[in-house]
Amino acid sequence: MTLLSVQDLSIRFRTPDGYVHAVNNVSFDIEEGEKLAVVGESGSGKSQIALAILGLLANNAEASGRILYKGQNLLDLPRREMNKIRAKEISIIFQDPMSSLNPYMTVERQLNEILELHEGLRGRAARSRVLEVMEAVQIPDAKNRLKSYPHEFSGGMRQRIVIAMALLCRPKLILADEPTTALDVTVQAQIMHLLEDIQKEYGSSIMLITHDLGVVAGFCNETLVLYGGRVMERAGTAAIFAAPAHPYTRGLMRAVPNIHDPSATLQSIPGQPPNQTRPLVHCPFAGRCGDSLEACFDILPELSPAPHQRACIRAVEELT
Amino acid sequence: MLNYTLRRLMAVIPTILILIVFCFFLMRLAPGGPFTSERPLPPAVMKNVLERYGLDEPLYVQLWTYLKNIILHFDFGPSFSQKDRTVNDLIAQGFPVTLTYGFFSALFVLALGVPLGVIAALRHNSFWDYVMTGLAIFSQIFPNFVLAPIMVLLFTLSWGLLPGGGWNGGQWPYVIMPAVALGTSYMASVARLTRGSLLETLSAGYIRTARAKGLPERTVLIRHALKPALLPVISYMGPVFVYMITGSVFIDIFFSTGGIGQNFIDAAYTRDYAVILGLAILYSVLTFALLLIVDLIYAWIDPKIRSGL
Amino acid sequence: MRAKKIMSSPEFAQAAAEEMINSRSFWADARIRFFKNKMAVISVTLLFGLVLFASFGQFFAQWSYEEIDWSVLGRVKEAGGPSLENGHYFGVDELGRDLYARVVQGSRVSLLVGFLAAIIAVCIGATMGAIAGYYGGRTDQIIVGALNITLSIPYIIFFVVWQAFFGRSLMQMILVMVIINWTAGLLIVRGQVQTLKNKEFVDAARMLGMSDAKIIFKHILPNMLWVIVIYMSISIPEMIMYESLVSFLGVGIQEPNTSWGALISEGAKTMTFGTLWQLLYPAAFFVIAQVSLYYIGDGLRDALDPKERS
Repeated sequence: MTLLSVQDLSIRFRTPDGYVHAVNNVSFDIEEGEKLAVVGESGSGKSQIALAILGLLANNAEASGRILYKGQNLLDLPRREMNKIRAKEISIIFQDPMSSLNPYMTVERQLNEILELHEGLRGRAARSRVLEVMEAVQIPDAKNRLKSYPHEFSGGMRQRIVIAMALLCRPKLILADEPTTALDVTVQAQIMHLLEDIQKEYGSSIMLITHDLGVVAGFCNETLVLYGGRVMERAGTAAIFAAPAHPYTRGLMRAVPNIHDPSATLQSIPGQPPNQTRPLVHCPFAGRCGDSLEACFDILPELSPAPHQRACIRAVEELT
Repeated sequence: MLNYTLRRLMAVIPTILILIVFCFFLMRLAPGGPFTSERPLPPAVMKNVLERYGLDEPLYVQLWTYLKNIILHFDFGPSFSQKDRTVNDLIAQGFPVTLTYGFFSALFVLALGVPLGVIAALRHNSFWDYVMTGLAIFSQIFPNFVLAPIMVLLFTLSWGLLPGGGWNGGQWPYVIMPAVALGTSYMASVARLTRGSLLETLSAGYIRTARAKGLPERTVLIRHALKPALLPVISYMGPVFVYMITGSVFIDIFFSTGGIGQNFIDAAYTRDYAVILGLAILYSVLTFALLLIVDLIYAWIDPKIRSGL
Repeated sequence: MRAKKIMSSPEFAQAAAEEMINSRSFWADARIRFFKNKMAVISVTLLFGLVLFASFGQFFAQWSYEEIDWSVLGRVKEAGGPSLENGHYFGVDELGRDLYARVVQGSRVSLLVGFLAAIIAVCIGATMGAIAGYYGGRTDQIIVGALNITLSIPYIIFFVVWQAFFGRSLMQMILVMVIINWTAGLLIVRGQVQTLKNKEFVDAARMLGMSDAKIIFKHILPNMLWVIVIYMSISIPEMIMYESLVSFLGVGIQEPNTSWGALISEGAKTMTFGTLWQLLYPAAFFVIAQVSLYYIGDGLRDALDPKERS
């Protein structure tokens, strides 16, 4: 069953210097129970997609296309209707646990206001539910820390609180926007394990936004590769890792250290990220692509059909 | 919290004591005095006068008496220029007046400044936003001593709406202009500060989190944004109170309210050191008290400071 | 020895050259940015006009600022208004003195006091800030403590007390205003110096055996010039305002000298008699000065402050 369907989504930002095209005609589906990784470097528009799903884009953003959830287009939904979906059906884990918690409110208040809003729970009932989730995300001594303020927790603990917040209503879909980037490596692993356990228990779908292929490989069953605000490749994670079919994905793989072959040289992708101040007319990666032809600068390649979708005019066999 | 309060008080009390001692010596060492007029008094009379005011004793005795009277009896001694009146009489008479319109002025500053700033921030670049920018420039250009005459010109002389001065027991038509003239420029600063601070807060990560929870925008604003946005405003109220105490001297003079500012300036003219000193101490204590209150409120609101106290 | 090596090394020479080039282009850029700002340019012109008026205005006056025109005295409301015929361009004041000449005189006093007090105060503030930031520790604590005490003094109270004890002269007035405002720019300079003092050129200077004073004045403060300029532009209108307020209260400048504040005060006292020009002319000059100084300050901030520029 398809849970969420993003169709032809484009997002652009009005700036004093003209429009910036962050996301260009992106389409993808998320199935129930699926763990989808959205991979791309910063500026590839991956976070903006998550924000667009929840209607949290900045004021100067304009989104077009459709985001279908339970038969309604989330992009057209009035704020009042959207508020019923936020946190209740679709929740989000933001990247930076330092800034995503309100420093002037106790942790308990920040958690129980969600229950109060969506489930009408107050008092003892709300507290036991909050405690349950805080224990689920393994916050030690949760009972005595309910009245603490965010600054009294470490970064890793704060991120656990943010995750607890996203889990509170057992949402159908969790958008995790680089949930571990701001944390220590050891804490990163713990948090990812935690997400995995919880996903299994709750049966939610997860859209994990990351630039870290290592995280993707261990966690997600589907992978979507974005570049310049456009889908480059989409397939099962195993398939992509075994046989990346897009020059950009291949470039990404080469930039990841390989524990099996430490002697292999790390390669970065040469060149600059694409200029997003003009609408796309050709493949955004063409300028940095080692395999580009002249035609690559004329055509905007469409995504090939499932199961292994790719947007490249060159055949897989021709790629270096 | 209690600890912090005590610690702050411990710092304030010596400061005030030093201030009193400093002022006291300043007063006694200053050239001339209240009784050195153009026509010198006969030596016998002079001796009599000095004795009466205790000025014939050694300086340290005078200082000791002065301090003792202030601390034990809250007694600032007799006025030098107004016969049979003590500094305490003057304070008892004028201080309530100054305090009354000062209170309403502070109310005006906050009750108008904060909402105006909030509206300007929420309707960024709208009509209200421009009104506020205009107001900010206006208040810089028309400080209270230019604004007050203009207000009297309009509201009293041209339109006859409000009395141009006097106090009349503090009836509200007499309070309005002093309070507004004293507060306008700070109201504008408070509005500008609120606007900037709320705009910054609204772009914070935790506001996005609050929206992602599905809270209505109203709740996001009131429950999540207002408190952090108002913290800078609260700490700015400290200096504002200092400025308003200063400004009250002008208001007392211009509107003839009968507040202590009038006594203060009169005393400066007549070199009535007892009154100058007493009022200067009163103004300073008031300043320190208000600054302390502002700091305490701030510390009480900000959990980061509160837990560190 | 090591210092010499650093100084003579090509890297140092290049760094020094870059520093100079950067600072040259910094001021050139700032000038371009400032002159692009229309309000700022208009304001500079206005202010220049005011200064000319204050300096040479008396040559066009037909009366001196002390002289009483007996022909209008006693019927100021009817005959004392602004008029070209009797030479009172701005009318006369309540005592029958030429208001034009008095406004010239008042402008001179207000501008002089404002500029002098602001410049001295900011120089002291910047130096103190540099010292606090450079030495740190005890010195820093004392200076910042003094700053906090100063900021919590209600300035008019202090002003009045001072004037009452030490008499009222122009010098005393400037002195008090400097005392009240010596903290201008202090904290910013202090913060900047704290980061700047670890830069190589300061190290190099120290190793060359340069005295601390020389380092502060020759190497650090010139780098802080933009802060000083901005704070001066903010302080000048503030100082003019203080002076005016104090003179308004009657404890500032003494007769027959006058200033904008004193003139506004006199005008405000007599406006019930219908001699409005006595209020409006000085108020207009005060307002023009404040408006133009406001926009000049704004323009300088936009042009110089790195935070505003980005």
